[in-house]
Amino acid sequence: MDELTREFLIESQEGLDRMERCLTELEERPQDAGLLGDIFRSVHTIKGTTGFLGFKRLEKLAHAGENLLGLLRDGKLTADGPMITGLLQLMDGLRSILKIIESEGTEGEGEDAALIARLEDMQIPTITYAAKTPRAKAAHAPPAHAGAAPPENSATTALTEIRPQTSLEHQLEPPAESTADKPRRAAPAAIASLEPETDPAKPRPQANSAAESSLRVDVTLLNRMMNLVGELVLTRNQVLQATANDPNLTLLSRRLDMVTADLRESVMKARMQPVSNIFSKMPRIVRDLSQSLGRRVRLQVEGQETELDKSLLEAIKDPLTHAVRNSLDHGIELPEVRQAAGKDPEGTLRLRAAQEGSHVLIEVSDDGKGVDVDKVRQKAIERGVIAQERAAHLAERELLQLVFLPGFSTAAAVTNVSGRGVGMDVVRTNVEKIGGKVEIDSRAGKGTTLRMRIPLTLAIIPALIVRSVGQSFALPQGALSELVHVPPSQAASAIEWIEDAPLYRLRGKLLPLVFLDRLLMPHSDRKNFAERDNFIAVLEADGRQFGLVVDGLADPEEIVVKPLSAVLKDIGLYSGATVLGNAELALILDPAAIAMKAGVNMHGEEAATNAEAALHATQATKNIEYLLVEVADRQAAVPLGDVLRIEQLPASRIEYIGYRPVLNFEGQLLPIEDSGGVLAAAQGNSQAQVIVVVCREGNRHVGIAVSHVLDVAAGGDLFEAGTTQRTSGVTLLKSRVTGVVDLGAVAALPALESGAPEWDRESESVA
Amino acid sequence: MSSTAIERKDQKNAALVEMCSVRLGQTLFGVPISHILEIVGSARPQPVPLAPVYVGGLVHYRGDVLTTVSLRQLLGMAPKDGPQDILVLESKGGCFGLLVDSVGEVLTVSSADHEPNPSILDERRRALFAGAYKLKDRLLVMLDPERLDPMRLSEARAA
Repeated sequence: MDELTREFLIESQEGLDRMERCLTELEERPQDAGLLGDIFRSVHTIKGTTGFLGFKRLEKLAHAGENLLGLLRDGKLTADGPMITGLLQLMDGLRSILKIIESEGTEGEGEDAALIARLEDMQIPTITYAAKTPRAKAAHAPPAHAGAAPPENSATTALTEIRPQTSLEHQLEPPAESTADKPRRAAPAAIASLEPETDPAKPRPQANSAAESSLRVDVTLLNRMMNLVGELVLTRNQVLQATANDPNLTLLSRRLDMVTADLRESVMKARMQPVSNIFSKMPRIVRDLSQSLGRRVRLQVEGQETELDKSLLEAIKDPLTHAVRNSLDHGIELPEVRQAAGKDPEGTLRLRAAQEGSHVLIEVSDDGKGVDVDKVRQKAIERGVIAQERAAHLAERELLQLVFLPGFSTAAAVTNVSGRGVGMDVVRTNVEKIGGKVEIDSRAGKGTTLRMRIPLTLAIIPALIVRSVGQSFALPQGALSELVHVPPSQAASAIEWIEDAPLYRLRGKLLPLVFLDRLLMPHSDRKNFAERDNFIAVLEADGRQFGLVVDGLADPEEIVVKPLSAVLKDIGLYSGATVLGNAELALILDPAAIAMKAGVNMHGEEAATNAEAALHATQATKNIEYLLVEVADRQAAVPLGDVLRIEQLPASRIEYIGYRPVLNFEGQLLPIEDSGGVLAAAQGNSQAQVIVVVCREGNRHVGIAVSHVLDVAAGGDLFEAGTTQRTSGVTLLKSRVTGVVDLGAVAALPALESGAPEWDRESESVA
Repeated sequence: MSSTAIERKDQKNAALVEMCSVRLGQTLFGVPISHILEIVGSARPQPVPLAPVYVGGLVHYRGDVLTTVSLRQLLGMAPKDGPQDILVLESKGGCFGLLVDSVGEVLTVSSADHEPNPSILDERRRALFAGAYKLKDRLLVMLDPERLDPMRLSEARAA
């Protein structure tokens, strides 16, 4: 394909993109002359160039469209719904021919006669507008009107198609339009006939000035530049290390440092594109879908100017389209249903993009019927995605995230019932592939919000460098939720086993572990994990949580991702490689792939849940989790369900009403229980920090001053010797009898009651 | 007399090929220099756990991470400790590195001296070698970069 054709294809695509945007806007403002002019120009440019390049089929179609658009632009026709549908079809027709040209170099053999005929039909105003058929009118038309006829036709000539005459025009035109068009119509005939040539030329000066300040650059060239910049960064790091002790070079190397950083930023910026590039495709999808589904939908778009790396933009196009479809299909109800529910019959679909630190947040929200959480729960249990006991414990938000699980999308029956979830796993897979995260938020009857967090760029990602089998590996920070250090002294007891499966109790829940060294070197001698430091990186991928055990941690680094050859990608554990600051190469681990390889799947999770349940069953029938705190050298427990938050604050913030300590907490007065004397001890010391556990008690909140927060543990019930009567106020925590804080006993404000409740009852009598 | 005969033959239908000679154990190998992008001396590739055995590891090459193929492993020889030389080769599938013990001088050979793989070679070697050139005092085994491409090797293994 020659340069000219390629240029033509790019320009035409851009023109059609513009046309698409304008068309959807036109539906709201059918009289907007500017929009019509824009659309006309797009098609006209295609027609003009195509004739020059000899693409006859394209020219014919574009020509038919141009004639119709000419009439629209001159206000002889009104852009109503069917008209816009026709124009969208014209656009699709042009697109498909362009696509064929792009792939084959020729226009292909397709036949557009039907579409052309439809476009021509539309040029005839419907009978309601004109008393007589335009064809008949034309015959009667006085020659004097020829000059006032739409100029396009005089240029395209020789066509037999008939235009409504000026005598009709005033009848057809909306009054607002006619004034805008007056000057043009007043132009002398000679000029008018030239207009099709000059008219499209009008925007050219603008286009030229834009062309002067911008340049089309091949993406591969940008990629190459990105690579080279990465290389430069690396070289810089080494130069900085080497010149650290030479004062003469320090200044120079610092300059190098700055220039490199600037350069990196500039190249990255060159790859950025506004999200409007993909948002602009949505109005069309919304329009088509809402028509075919019988919905009435208003689309709101926010933050179009937010920029994102080009490759990422491409990657989120599909998930975004999917989400929009979902919202229309399953979210927003039919107008009647909405009306019956007391909502605006027109639903709202909101697309929002915003930058948040090093991420871009993209939200798709609707005000539809939302997701029925109970049905999700029910289906999840039915399909064996989660165990029943577990489902009962999951919070609503956690349950909602289940729609992203693969099991949820495959069966149509599930989709119909749950109301959502068509290929939601595909959405998540696509978003996670580019290091993003996706979550869903929904309120029954109110609507659903799908949130995607996308990193700004793919090329450079934050990663934690870990060590295993004597090598460094990079672990993307996106998947990492926390780190746990298990020193050798505790390794044997902290890591528990069910047969061959290592597990760790993370805040009372069993976390499946994967030893990275065993995974990577399955046949090597197993070094005893109990003799060394173990670090557990708690990872989340594909909705599974697991701990990756590594030998050591190094600093987090911003790494430049380099692709791996296909052979190494096939191993399935590595998503790329990178060069570290010390010039060492490191493979980038793929958390999802590791989970899969190690067999940490939903099945495993269920097994773990069952095992957990079994474990608990042997202890007691009903277990409550407690926050274990220390107050004045004694341990006490607070039911975890009642804990809202834990605040560390300067002791000076505690105020007193009489002798009762209170805290002005977010504008509300919080009574504080201080039977352990923690506050009293801190009083007077301006530097002292105190810890306040904020709890819920009935309808009020109370604070409890503690010395330390120790742990979270499941408590066991205690039975008084010789009876089956459960003791109250005490529980068995970590094999120790521990008093439970009686929140109800914390005196209410402002009625001051004497006698601090004795909540810390450490009972020795039971043992 | 024999040399003139060869020369005449050359002029008729034989082309001269420049080969980079490579030593590995006792054998002298040759790689056509037209396929060599660069020679990287004494490199220490980073091993890749779980990779196929013939993968010699990764090296950092001009801003990219290059996969290397270990000729020793391919031929079933014990891996060599210490740094090795790398030929950066270009094949249809992209670039890759070939790990060899040491790189020697460039030899000009004539295609007239080329002979196909002898039948007594084992199957694995027959698949890797592209015949041999008869030098005055010894043989130069020709390596075809296309056949050493890691992608192709993995397909061959899978088949």
